[in-house]
Amino acid sequence: MTTHKFLFFSIFFLFSLVSFSQQNQGVSVSGQVIENSGQTIPYASVAIEKTDLSMIADENGKFVFKNITPGKYTLKITAIGFATQKKHVEVSDRDSNFSFQLESELNELENITVLGRSQTDKVNKQSYSVTAIDAKKLHNSTLDLAHALDRVSGVRVREAGGVGSRSELSINGFQGNQVKVFIDGVPMDNFGSSFQMNNIPINLADRVEVYKGVVPIWLGGDALGGAVNIVTNSKPRTFVDASYSFGSFNTHRSSINAGYTSKSGFTTEINAFQNYSDNNYWVNVDVADLNTGAYFPNQRVKRFHDKYRNETVIVNIGLTGKKYADKLLFGFTAGENKADIQTGARMVSVFGQVYRKGNILMPTLKYQVKDLFTKGLNLNLTGNFNFGEEQNVDTVYRRYNWFGDYREYAGLGGERSRTLRKFKNNNGVTTANATYALGERHSFMLNNTFTTFDRKESDELVPESLVYKQPKKTQKNVLGMGYKFDYNEKWSTSVFLKDYSLKTTYSRSYNPSGNAGDIAYQQYVDHTTTTGYGAATSYYLRHNLQLKASFEKSYRLPTPEEIFGNVNDNLEGNLALKPETSNNFNVGASYQTSFNKVNALSFDVNLLHRNATDFIRPTLNNNQTMTTNVNQGKVTNYGIDGEIRYSYKTRFTAGLNATYQNIRNMTEYEPNQNYVSPFYKDRVPNMPFLFGNADATVFFNDLIKKGNNLSVGYNLLYVHTYYLSWPSMGSKDSKLEIPQQFSHDINAVYTLANGKYNIALECKNLLDNKLYDNFSLQKPSRAFYIKFRYFFTKSHN
Amino acid sequence: MKKNSKLALLALVAFTTFSCSSDSDKSGNETGGGVDTGKTKYIITATTGAAGIADYLLTTDDISKGSITTTGNGIEQDGSYRYYITAQNNFFSLLYGQGNPGAVTTYNLTTEGKLVKKSDFQAETVHVFAAVNKDILTIKVPRSGAASIASMYKIDAEKSLITGEAQQDTKKLAGNGERAFFTWATQVGDKVFMPYMSIKGDGVDNFGTVNPDSTWVAVYNYPELKLEKVIKDNRTSYLGAYFTNGLYQDENGDAYGFSSAAATSNSVLTSTKPSAVVKIKKGTTEFDKTYFFNVEEKSGGYKIASSSYISKGKVLLQMYGTPGTNKGAAKLAVADVYAQTFTWVKDAPLEISFTTVNRYNLVSEDGNSAVVGINTPEGNWIYTINGTTGVATKGMKVEGGQITAIAKLKY
Repeated sequence: MTTHKFLFFSIFFLFSLVSFSQQNQGVSVSGQVIENSGQTIPYASVAIEKTDLSMIADENGKFVFKNITPGKYTLKITAIGFATQKKHVEVSDRDSNFSFQLESELNELENITVLGRSQTDKVNKQSYSVTAIDAKKLHNSTLDLAHALDRVSGVRVREAGGVGSRSELSINGFQGNQVKVFIDGVPMDNFGSSFQMNNIPINLADRVEVYKGVVPIWLGGDALGGAVNIVTNSKPRTFVDASYSFGSFNTHRSSINAGYTSKSGFTTEINAFQNYSDNNYWVNVDVADLNTGAYFPNQRVKRFHDKYRNETVIVNIGLTGKKYADKLLFGFTAGENKADIQTGARMVSVFGQVYRKGNILMPTLKYQVKDLFTKGLNLNLTGNFNFGEEQNVDTVYRRYNWFGDYREYAGLGGERSRTLRKFKNNNGVTTANATYALGERHSFMLNNTFTTFDRKESDELVPESLVYKQPKKTQKNVLGMGYKFDYNEKWSTSVFLKDYSLKTTYSRSYNPSGNAGDIAYQQYVDHTTTTGYGAATSYYLRHNLQLKASFEKSYRLPTPEEIFGNVNDNLEGNLALKPETSNNFNVGASYQTSFNKVNALSFDVNLLHRNATDFIRPTLNNNQTMTTNVNQGKVTNYGIDGEIRYSYKTRFTAGLNATYQNIRNMTEYEPNQNYVSPFYKDRVPNMPFLFGNADATVFFNDLIKKGNNLSVGYNLLYVHTYYLSWPSMGSKDSKLEIPQQFSHDINAVYTLANGKYNIALECKNLLDNKLYDNFSLQKPSRAFYIKFRYFFTKSHN
Repeated sequence: MKKNSKLALLALVAFTTFSCSSDSDKSGNETGGGVDTGKTKYIITATTGAAGIADYLLTTDDISKGSITTTGNGIEQDGSYRYYITAQNNFFSLLYGQGNPGAVTTYNLTTEGKLVKKSDFQAETVHVFAAVNKDILTIKVPRSGAASIASMYKIDAEKSLITGEAQQDTKKLAGNGERAFFTWATQVGDKVFMPYMSIKGDGVDNFGTVNPDSTWVAVYNYPELKLEKVIKDNRTSYLGAYFTNGLYQDENGDAYGFSSAAATSNSVLTSTKPSAVVKIKKGTTEFDKTYFFNVEEKSGGYKIASSSYISKGKVLLQMYGTPGTNKGAAKLAVADVYAQTFTWVKDAPLEISFTTVNRYNLVSEDGNSAVVGINTPEGNWIYTINGTTGVATKGMKVEGGQITAIAKLKY
């Protein structure tokens, strides 16, 4: 038995033993925590003084203590951003209900609160290594979700270009499919290109949670080294949030989010958003003469074929607050996008006509019920199915250069490879999550996530092709069981087990007779199952100092695209791909302090270790025309990331975060090589290893008129230089590297009438620095944006 | 009479060999290639095997001993996959851009023998590249889809610029319902011979064919690149292979073509004819019906995978390891196409991962041996293989990467 397995089982048994020792009889004490304005405050902590009873209210601010002996008690309510309240209550022999109105603390800063942190801290206080971004604070910015995540320590968003360009998340050295993205706990696998991190406006989210390493059980599914959960605002309320922004490169974005909940519980919500950009930003390139091939070196030219647009509407109709359904929502997501493709994987390949398009047509169902059959048993079910399809269009036989000049050839052809290939993935996801709280200390959780994929392909240019008629199906199921033990409000521990299974249906061609031209297909069905486990614990050493530790043996099953390929991304499938696995260890601490009642400081630090095997990595296929994924080798990472934040009253806040990760190749022997690999123990190339953000914001409250506020902010992104290839290879003077990068962004936001009307001005890449990403693709030059936003809300009690 | 003609032949061979080498030396002097002081520098390209990272360019004076490494040494190249050709004493590194255009980087040697970058220019991604006169001829061949036009480009090897283009409809060329896919191009006399395979190119079984037992060579004039005729034969299968040269001109001006006889349909070998060598006599554009070297029979049932011409009819052959198939770990042999003899190479590594035989052709200074890179599970070495005796001599060890090509320049 390995050490961590032993550790895991010891912890599991320890808690199983301690757990069943609490029995009480009495009545229940329930209540709700709200703001002065009437809006509910989610996740406040509620403690009954002089007892060891404490709990965290739910997202609607509601809490219930059961088995309370009648008598006099003092309830203490704390919520970050609000003044702590104590209330003396008398509990009779009947169930009682209390309401708590908390004063916003933003004007007082009595407690140790750092401006810029809020309810999202509740998420941060979980045992897991997690960072939450309060998306509401960014609602006046023109960021999409991907760019908001770029400001989290340990996270890098890597993108291919401007608005709508393909982006990929990397968390502590894991990237691409190794990091899972969820929306309200539902995996965003294969939502298609119309609904992705790079086009969802930040206004859709209430908060965004970033789990580094260990992924909690309620986020079902398989992630190797981290997950992002986008949480939308699900509180029943009547609201309108409408915004429009306009800026450089003819960029227009708008979004409308509106919701209405009637007294009877009838709920309707609509989210609609649109992005458009010409993306015609300046780049520095060598431009080839179309006839001789000679380069005009280092020309500054505008991108000329990079238009992007998408429009998406999400509608939900249903009921909330019913006995049989706390929430029952039927929804439909419809959207489409079209993107011109300006370059290949490298900027030397330039296109003028190729484009891709896709749509999403997805019915959804959400059902939530609390106290089903018995108190404390909550059930949450979701389901969706995407009928959307994607297409790549390349039918113009031309060769372009960076000046936008072209040569047209006779006959039929394409710029890259003539195609009109369409594919429909028929992708569906269902999740079921059940939690059961036994007493105040024990809770049990069961989560099941099922994903189905059944690709149908066609290309009207080759309608007879048999390749497209072969089955390409996968069915994936991830079942998780978890147990959480809250010994007291200082110490909380979770343990969990996950069972992964994958069924793949595919076929291989063969020649049944040996005669030229004879072809037949044999169908195969493969099954893979495996088990993972983990544990997380957190402890408040002092009320303002929390320590956390977590471990997971995680698995990631190969995705359908990795198995069957995606011709639009030049990806060849690998039917023999095995799951990849990693042992993830995290240790973290967070500390808050204040001095002179006006200065507040917070510190967060995380240490991590990753040890991955059967790592799925891309390589070139046999004739080097596509990439394909293979299982290979060992990769380890020892990393550290941290954040410091300071605030002065409500006038100023500044923060600094930094990440260092030492990602090393530990594959001693490459396949078919009996000698030690030349880059054994080398740093994994083409991956940033030192990067950080700094930001500062000054607030001018009640400027010009009471209730009108101005903030002026600055954000700096830094990425240290890194090598494109193995650092030890080649002579130093010939090494290709991505140079050190600085990006300065500034913004000013003026809000009127307590946030009802907002005007924001932003300048991205102020100094017009050259910014790069994967394979040295250049990112946008200096850009200016203006955003107008209207926000109105009324909450229901 | 016989003796006399043999002597004459020898004299001719000696003369052409001499004149050939002096030609190339001279052109090296004139042409933007490095200055020739009579010294030779070898360029070894080595891949670390890492995805998305091109070979490292290593240089050395002596490949017969010692070792060389990519660790902290060698020129790192941009891009992911590259191919090489030497012409006019310049070393060209062609980026394989997966259907997209790619940059070609030209290197030459300084007077100190240091390999330096001379220029960059843009070219199409191609499957065929060959030195013709003072040019490099490259050909981009479509393998599927509606496009059936192959584009040929003439690149001035001195100026590193594209100077001309020509097109060929490969469906028309094949004329059998399939399409022609050029395996390689070889200058023969003042013409360019382009052997091709007939392929379905149907998007399902692109490289399969229903014509597994025929040989075709398209004959083009130069520099116009006009198709003059297609010469055919039915005694073996197509010459060369995908991305692999299978036609050489010897010192007499005769051309010898090498067929694997390994045509497939849906990945199953369907050729019924033997793997063999055929001949096109100097000045003719017909197969010599009197000549047929049945290599499959002489080798005991093995098929040719690829070949590399040494001199005077001597050829290094890489054979498929499993008799009668196009599979199995590589085995090396030498053959004499004049005497039609076949000899297995002695002292070669027992287990070979891959070699540089298929695409790169380097002959030792004395002209008697092939210089090849042989990569094995135990390590990677440069071998010198005698074309007559078949004895392999282990030379320099290459560490930190597998050998993809060996070339040499003068300075």
